[in-house]
Amino acid sequence: MNKLTTAFQKNRSYLTALFLSIVTALILGAILMLITGYNPLAGYAAMLKGVFGNSRVFGNTLAKMLTLCLTGLAMAVCSKAGMFNVGGEGQLFLGGLAATMVGVCLEGISPIIAVPLAFLSAAAVGGFYAWIPAMLKVKLNVSEVITTIMLNSVAIYLCTYLTNSGGPLLTDDRGVLGGTEAVPDPFMFSQLIPRSNLSTAIIYSAAIAFICWYVMKKTTMGLEMKITGENSRFAFFSGLKKDKIMVLAMVASGAICGLVGMFEVYGYQQRFMDSISNEFYYDGMLVAMIMNYNPLGIIIMSFFFAVVDIGAGAMELSIGISGELSDIIFAIIIFLMAAEGGITKFLNERKARKEAQK
Amino acid sequence: MEQLAQVFNIGLLQNTLRTATPVILAAMGGLLTEQAGIMNIGMDGMILMGAFVAVAFSYACASASMGVLMAVLIGILVGIFFAIFVVKLKSDEFIIGMALNTFAGGLTVYLLRSIFGVKGTFSDAGIVSLPTVHLDFLDGIPVLGPLLNDNSIFVYITWVLVFLTWLFLYRTPYGFWLRAAGEHPESLETAGISAQKMKLIASIMCGVFCGFAGAHLSLGYLTMFSEGMSNSRGFIAFACVIFGMANPPKVFLAALLFGFLQALGLRLQNVGVPADITSIIPYLATILMLVYVVVAGDRKKKNKAKKELKNIN
Amino acid sequence: MQESIVKFEHVSMQFPGVLANDDVSFDIKKGEVFALVGENGAGKSTLMNILYGINKPTGGNVYIKGKKVEKYSPSDAISQGVGMVHQHFMLVPSFTVAQNIVMSKEPKKMGIFYDLKAADKITENLVKEYGLEVDGKATVAEISVGLQQRVEILKTLYRGADVLILDEPTAVLTPQETEELFQVIRRIVKEKEMTVIIITHKLYEVMAISDRVGVMRQGRLIGVEETKNVNERILASMMVGREVLFDNIEKTGTPGDVQIKADNLYVADNRGLMAVNGVSLEVRAGEVLGIAAIEGNGQSELLEALTGMRPVARGEFFIQGEKSNGKTPGQIRELGLAHIPEDRMSTGVSLQSTITENLIIGKQKESAFSKYKTHLKQSSIARYAEELFEKFDMRGSGVETRVGDLSGGNMQKVVVAREFSFDTPTLIIAQPTRGVDIGAMEFIHKQIIAKRNEGCAILLASADLDEVFRLSDRIITLYEGKITGEFKAGEIDKMGISYYMTGDRSGGNGGQEGGAENE
Repeated sequence: MNKLTTAFQKNRSYLTALFLSIVTALILGAILMLITGYNPLAGYAAMLKGVFGNSRVFGNTLAKMLTLCLTGLAMAVCSKAGMFNVGGEGQLFLGGLAATMVGVCLEGISPIIAVPLAFLSAAAVGGFYAWIPAMLKVKLNVSEVITTIMLNSVAIYLCTYLTNSGGPLLTDDRGVLGGTEAVPDPFMFSQLIPRSNLSTAIIYSAAIAFICWYVMKKTTMGLEMKITGENSRFAFFSGLKKDKIMVLAMVASGAICGLVGMFEVYGYQQRFMDSISNEFYYDGMLVAMIMNYNPLGIIIMSFFFAVVDIGAGAMELSIGISGELSDIIFAIIIFLMAAEGGITKFLNERKARKEAQK
Repeated sequence: MEQLAQVFNIGLLQNTLRTATPVILAAMGGLLTEQAGIMNIGMDGMILMGAFVAVAFSYACASASMGVLMAVLIGILVGIFFAIFVVKLKSDEFIIGMALNTFAGGLTVYLLRSIFGVKGTFSDAGIVSLPTVHLDFLDGIPVLGPLLNDNSIFVYITWVLVFLTWLFLYRTPYGFWLRAAGEHPESLETAGISAQKMKLIASIMCGVFCGFAGAHLSLGYLTMFSEGMSNSRGFIAFACVIFGMANPPKVFLAALLFGFLQALGLRLQNVGVPADITSIIPYLATILMLVYVVVAGDRKKKNKAKKELKNIN
Repeated sequence: MQESIVKFEHVSMQFPGVLANDDVSFDIKKGEVFALVGENGAGKSTLMNILYGINKPTGGNVYIKGKKVEKYSPSDAISQGVGMVHQHFMLVPSFTVAQNIVMSKEPKKMGIFYDLKAADKITENLVKEYGLEVDGKATVAEISVGLQQRVEILKTLYRGADVLILDEPTAVLTPQETEELFQVIRRIVKEKEMTVIIITHKLYEVMAISDRVGVMRQGRLIGVEETKNVNERILASMMVGREVLFDNIEKTGTPGDVQIKADNLYVADNRGLMAVNGVSLEVRAGEVLGIAAIEGNGQSELLEALTGMRPVARGEFFIQGEKSNGKTPGQIRELGLAHIPEDRMSTGVSLQSTITENLIIGKQKESAFSKYKTHLKQSSIARYAEELFEKFDMRGSGVETRVGDLSGGNMQKVVVAREFSFDTPTLIIAQPTRGVDIGAMEFIHKQIIAKRNEGCAILLASADLDEVFRLSDRIITLYEGKITGEFKAGEIDKMGISYYMTGDRSGGNGGQEGGAENE
């Protein structure tokens, strides 16, 4: 507890800024609702009701939080080592599809064998898809930002082709609707809250989050990643295997994204559809950026994001305000936080100037 | 053979011009910020906002030129907004760019819903599209005639803008200042010109170009607005900037190459290749383009060193 | 001669956490050469940046030609006739000389277009008028540092400057180029009635060129003197506030086996041009081999190649007798080499990390600091960092300070502490005291000699000739990537060696080896 207080004091100005940014963003969101002719109080009330109204929606919120938390950590893991994986969306699609196909093909086999194999395949495929841009970056110095964005589109179009009419992985039992065969019931994670999206994936997610935190904060690997991310020339100079560290961080990031894809399917969707993710990874990225890639911060902030995101969806259904309001609020928080750094510096300089004039 | 003719015909070239134009426009903006030393990955969002505003005002004012004007205006505003963060407050370009894309994606869909009451796509007979240009004297000429005629007016404006961009960068003092602001800002500062101001100007011009790109996308290329219709074109434009080393004619050619590949994809659909597969082509090509730039640059350097060693012998 | 052209009145400059100028008042007279001296961080550059309008003072006023400065900006200073040549050149590398000279005041045609031909013509005329020879059509990236400095001076002259500020102008020049620069200064002062302010910390240059000298220390002006009334000793004690007498550092022992060996080495620079052209050298245990060379003559590339930071184009090199071509810095370190890099900011530290993290890196897998090479032992790491912090006399608010918040001297101590504590038999050291104050410099020099006396083989490169002479047992000169001379300590003096540094193998006097004629 004592440690927590010191951590709080150390980051006091950051946390204050964060709090003020969130409040301001919510106010700006309210103003936007007013301008477009809605009652913001009714909007936010609908939002809260959509999150805390009953155990089912709250379960959905927690499930959403898991997704955001894991994608946020995936972003944090690679950016700590100086790599920007913008391609989590594609890794999520391919990982989800791979895990689904493993499940479908292994029907009848004991879950004790099949489910771990699904884990393995999701992580391997997601990791491999991140390995490509990582190698291009490390060996040829091709910007991973652009290549991962391009690979997103490639993966999504490919999955769309494979699982829709004319595609080889399309199921026969859904008529015109796309999607693969269903994962056999025994392989599915058990639900924690009936009829909600919350499953035992939460346990696996907690384990992944713990590992991320431990590696980043407590191990030689974490230290080496940090040094590589901050100054890769210094890392090379100091004898670190910086290329290996960067590739590894990127592959880990991709593997996590692959697992997120699997959790979506094995948690509740049960079959792979091209609607598996609605830019989940981008939201996770925003969470990670706002929290400065701090693992603990990401876990906390993803709850807030989940509330706004699920709440906004409910708001759209109940009173017709577009759910995209959540994206607007998230972006505003980032702008304000980014501005905060500059504003603080500006204020400090002015203060120094005033002091000198005294 | 028949199938080949169905793919490789005059329509392929026509499509190339059409699909390349928005990318060329955005890439011209992107090369200005690149030359001014700003990594701008927020172009996708800038295009999207331009596209939305263009459709909204074309519909509301029943005038395509009003749509374009407002798209340019919003481009200026977004350019200033971007510059306040990246130039004035020195925020991380990557974060601001990504946030801008998210913001644009969210805001356009939100407004689409609350103003026009539709979800996903807005297309209406009330949207006035941009005029096409027909030059009679081209009619008689084979290939060139059908290729250069009846294009949306923006196709022609774009070619002029490419030339003007080059002229600005390499033949006016302001272009030199802009490039100096990117390459060695301190030297510009000490010569008495604010590098921040040049970066701001580059950012605004980029916003204007992206506004044009958006307007062309929603009023020239198509006549509608749909969710996320920029479709990563901002990123592809960014790749073209790098591929063309931020030099206007080279970037123009890179964007044309991209347009050609996308047009090829559309044509291939005619002979039965699934649309989702052909859609992959431009994205893969962009990656290959980037790899090529680096490999070619490396080889050049290595050859130079080898040649030097030979001279010593 | 007595008319005051620039006047500082109670000028103060407060940066966050640092008072860079503290109530500074003095005049500069028209037509004089005024030298401003002081240690690094004494506030000389800050004061001149105020005069040039880059910084707005937080207190006091500046008067130029009797007029109070109201608006601080370079363009206002320029219009008042103030020109400044910065320590780091303010030139755009990809532009031509002419384009750099006319920048911000370009000749135009048709109102908006840049008249490139007229720019060339202007440059030609300026070159003729002032006799500063340079090719206007050459790209700045392709010309030598000495020529770049001329471009800088021409740039200010084109803007009509009659007050010229030169910030550390000789730091990158050879003694010969320095002499040429001084001739130019004397000529423009005499013929064009210019006023020159020269910032430096080389006291013999102050004596050689200036009419009056102002000494600064810790942001304050200590005094202004007529140069003819002072000598180097007086100035030095004013600068540091005490008598400076460098102790003679005792060197003991005799050289042992060869530890570092290079055999006909060729190394390319970043552009793919050959920077090192067939260098062979040997460094033995218990000796310091110093490299004397003007910046950009291949010494940086040579040291980077020997430490694995840069590939070798041809030839071989051996660390501890093992062939090391193609090895990574990590593999070379394992052979027993530590390295103080030339540019500590970009290579020697991670600015965002703490002192502790910067000190531990490279040792994090030792059993004293981690369990099973993975789990970090935080408390023993902290203890170790505290120890080094004490031993290397670092100042600051403790080992958890971010290295980016340290002064240059303390940052360099972090690098030295880390690299020296590897206890390797070989050391490669580049610019060990660049941008470091005299106290820290003395400390680092003593550490280097202590290593030498313990039997370490040390290869040293420095732009500071005094440093090379003080520390080395043997000295080689490099010019355009080739070795032009090799000397034992005491065999040659600074003026003599400068001929070899400029490629004159005869030592400047027709073949008389050693070149130790009178200065």
